[in-house]
Amino acid sequence: MVASPVGQDPGWFAGGRLRYRRDGMAKVTGSKVFAIDMRARDLDGWPDHQSHALTLHVPRADRVYLGLDLSVLEPDLAPDVLIDAERLAKDKVTMPDADFYGDFFLEPGNVSPMLGQPVALGIWHDYERFRAARKLLQFNNDIFRFGEQADPPKRAPYGAARFVRIGGDDPRGADRFSPMKDYVVWPDTDESGVQWPAHDHPAFGAAMGHSSDIQSEMENPPEGSRTFAREYRSQSIDPCAMEMENGLGWYDPDSGRLNVVGATQSPYSAAHHILEMMSASTLPLKALDFVTGYTVGYGQKEHQSFPYYVAMAALYGDGNPVRLALDRWQHFQFALKRHPFDIRTALTVDKDGQFQAMSCDMTGDGGGVMNFSPSVGTVAVTAAQSVYYMPKSDMSVQVLPSIGVTSGSMRGYGTLQSMATTEMLVDEIADEIGMDAIELRRKNVIQSGMKNTQGAVPSGHLRIGEILDIARQDPLWTERADRKAAYEAENPGTLYGLGFASVQKDFGTGAEAAVVRLEITPEGRLKMRHVAAEIGAGATTSQMLVTEPYLGRPADEVEFSVQHWPEMPLKTEDQPYTTPQEEEDQLSQDPYWVPRFTSPRSASNSAYYFTHATQQAAQLLLRLALWPSALAIWGAGPSGGQSTPEPLRFEDAEWRDGMLVARSMEPLSLERLAKRAHEKGSITGVCIHTFNRWAWTEAEFEVEGQSFRAPIDALSVKWGTGADAARKAQMTDGGYAFQPRTKVYYPPVQRNNAGTVYYAPCATLVELGVATGSGKVTILSHKTWLECGTQIVPELVSGQLQGGIAMGIGHALYEDLPTDADGPGNGTWNYSRYHLPRASEVGVWTQTGHVLPPLSGEDPPKGMAEVVMIPIVGACANAIAHATGHRFYSFPISASRIQEVL
Amino acid sequence: MIEKISFSATINGQKVGPMDVPQDLMMVELLQEYLNLTGTRLSCGQGMCSACRVIVDDPAKGTYTVAACVTGVAWLNGKTVRTIEGIAGEDGQGAPLPSAIQQAFLEHFSFQCSYCTPGFVNSATVLVEQLERSPIAADRVEDVVLESLDKHICRCTGYVRYYQAVKDVILSTPGLTHENPVVLERPA
Repeated sequence: MVASPVGQDPGWFAGGRLRYRRDGMAKVTGSKVFAIDMRARDLDGWPDHQSHALTLHVPRADRVYLGLDLSVLEPDLAPDVLIDAERLAKDKVTMPDADFYGDFFLEPGNVSPMLGQPVALGIWHDYERFRAARKLLQFNNDIFRFGEQADPPKRAPYGAARFVRIGGDDPRGADRFSPMKDYVVWPDTDESGVQWPAHDHPAFGAAMGHSSDIQSEMENPPEGSRTFAREYRSQSIDPCAMEMENGLGWYDPDSGRLNVVGATQSPYSAAHHILEMMSASTLPLKALDFVTGYTVGYGQKEHQSFPYYVAMAALYGDGNPVRLALDRWQHFQFALKRHPFDIRTALTVDKDGQFQAMSCDMTGDGGGVMNFSPSVGTVAVTAAQSVYYMPKSDMSVQVLPSIGVTSGSMRGYGTLQSMATTEMLVDEIADEIGMDAIELRRKNVIQSGMKNTQGAVPSGHLRIGEILDIARQDPLWTERADRKAAYEAENPGTLYGLGFASVQKDFGTGAEAAVVRLEITPEGRLKMRHVAAEIGAGATTSQMLVTEPYLGRPADEVEFSVQHWPEMPLKTEDQPYTTPQEEEDQLSQDPYWVPRFTSPRSASNSAYYFTHATQQAAQLLLRLALWPSALAIWGAGPSGGQSTPEPLRFEDAEWRDGMLVARSMEPLSLERLAKRAHEKGSITGVCIHTFNRWAWTEAEFEVEGQSFRAPIDALSVKWGTGADAARKAQMTDGGYAFQPRTKVYYPPVQRNNAGTVYYAPCATLVELGVATGSGKVTILSHKTWLECGTQIVPELVSGQLQGGIAMGIGHALYEDLPTDADGPGNGTWNYSRYHLPRASEVGVWTQTGHVLPPLSGEDPPKGMAEVVMIPIVGACANAIAHATGHRFYSFPISASRIQEVL
Repeated sequence: MIEKISFSATINGQKVGPMDVPQDLMMVELLQEYLNLTGTRLSCGQGMCSACRVIVDDPAKGTYTVAACVTGVAWLNGKTVRTIEGIAGEDGQGAPLPSAIQQAFLEHFSFQCSYCTPGFVNSATVLVEQLERSPIAADRVEDVVLESLDKHICRCTGYVRYYQAVKDVILSTPGLTHENPVVLERPA
């Protein structure tokens, strides 16, 4: 990460106790930690003087764009450099993976595919001219020359899929048909739309036949059963990362070195894509230094195109560093959004309230560029089952292009949209069949070993039933009728409503890879390098603490967001989802091959996946470095020293008060162990790589005569300062020696069809008041239950929970962006017309959160940053229905919409 | 032609200026681009989110905060201003010595990304200073905290840990509530 005061303050961990976030002191004193805080003069080795860049975005997509008219800037304020599509084409600077990210600039003569598409970038070499020019260009649509009215280019859907499952008689037994057992339906798409396969389709016909059968059965349910079908709409949301898109770059044409400070959740991808951007360029690129600041995104800065604009701008700075930072209007205009979805959900329920079948058909709006739309769609629809077991299910999704701002991977990744609406339907069904809404949920809850709608068995024990049992006994729930009557009697003009919703959210992506390096210095300091980037959730605090059980203390020094890993010389095609099994089997014979090098900070992945990697590195450092040193110390002296009388095993090792102990052996400090390991030239550092495809990859290794199998797929080691010449000669990979695995066990590629197996469950009860005159909703209180395994830092978990709920309230009640020509792509949106919930609107003093205790001492931490924001959405809708007697099917449920029905 | 004014002020106890700056320059630009004080964070540019609030110590009107994104330097010319960089002390060895509010934010894990933190620190600081002059009843603390800080937007935290931290500072600091007065020791 970019140099900052973080790490200079040792006070965050003292006396064996976490006192505050590792980055806390720097952040609370307003130090430069974000990329947006950085100026060229702050960066060592950079020139002091910097230039300023401004992107120009077309505000419409219904006319042919002819070019710019910047005469308003004449004579003094014209940009010193103007870059457009023609200039980039001449220099062969191209957007990496343009199908995914879009083009840098719209070429004149075309209709923009979306509102807000950049057409050019200006650079001014001094701030005062820059700001004066910006003022003349902002909100000034006369600078764009448009021709005749025309339609935007036709495009095929970004993605579509269908997940069909018919379970066996036993929910834990074999399926008759499922994606996991058989396949996912991937239909052809073209400009006319999605072409769902026919029943005689050679690859997908059987699934389509089952789909038709399920639909037909649901339309004509058996005697005593009823099918409830509703249509929902979930709106477009701006994640509103408070730090806007920004970055700072400096390109020295003489040396060919490009330096970029970026703000992104996916630094590794960004760095590699900048190299791709320059791969055919006539501008020389000899070296790239890409670093990130501490940032924030909620998915808005995950695989976004903006870092490439920063890098591209730097190329044209005439040797000056160039700063490119969107203002809030531009951020609304161009930064990634949450997908809006139209959702048709149907549930067939028998006379006892048992769910028999479910169908869900989702149509998402991906906006102007594909980005993650295909996978957001599939993740959304595979989550639609929420917390229930479905004997049969037919789940389909398509995500379509539009002229709206590009939708990306915002917190929830489509599951908020699907699960919230399922929870609204279940609540309505309970009303319709006269059953307690939590009782109905309990009756149908998915239990351990049962399959999800993809036919995969979720990992471990499913505890949402435990949460439902707690919630249904809560006084808020049991006394809701009395509380409603009492509240409304005391508050004339206000309707009381209580709502509940429960969900379980996947974490991870099905291709989670991480790299961690841990080593001890001769002085006994513990140094770590890690791929984790900080997005506010606290990974750079928690990952340092993860070493403690294995190494006696947190890491002393750390480098996060590392992209350059010479000590892990792996190769990958980065096609973890699409490589056929045979090909992967062949590729994996090469011990240097992995399916993916590393993952971004996204998908609530740090707590589980990064923690696993950190744990493995710590365990291996203990096993390969510290334990042998301990044995050597304990075994020193005549007749095998103090250890001879004791049958010592590695499993005996544990840390007490920062000292390594085993049975009755003398406690040893890390400093002493390190000194010994370095003196003897033993292993003093490990670097590991991990990969998870809904199960951990394991591999076998032989290191210094030890054979072992571990849940990692690559390993490098470093020997201490006293290493002999032969070992030193082996340390050719960034000072490390790669240890080829002797055998590897990658989870079969068929597990891609699982959709997910890792879930964190969460439920929320919310009570609110609805003003009968204005429709205004006031949150009175809310109560949330969460299960997330072992909490690494409970305060961070609680903070995520509270923040997620506030964001969910915004989705449920306030936030809304048009997806047409009035939408944010026209450059006129800001907080003055986009309401983010404030403290007075989230029950700041009246909320509680409860986390279930872990099942065991080794119950792994689960990713929970997304799940916590989802149940409140459905719960608010259900509470408003309870208050008003009216069901709403479209978000946000704003005061004006409520007012219309009251 | 860029019109300029001569600007001077006292910022974090230091005299700044006189310096020629564009007459329409906003305070946040002055702080960030001219003085390299980037802890005052620009977010909305409309005065809506309060991430950029700085403290003005006005002998006539007292102490209050303004949104630096919509407050022009012309208006602040000659005034005394505190930004986040001037809130913490120094421990004598070059390390920051956080104020009571900053310490409480640390201990409560109040912030996540922290982009909005400087604004919260400044408004909470002003609130504490106001309560030093005009203490309130303890049962009004939650309402007063909400009134003072509700103008601040935080997208990460749900506000709870910020609010609890400020409440704790107010309730535990002698002199801020009627129930917890400053007790002056009688001279021997």
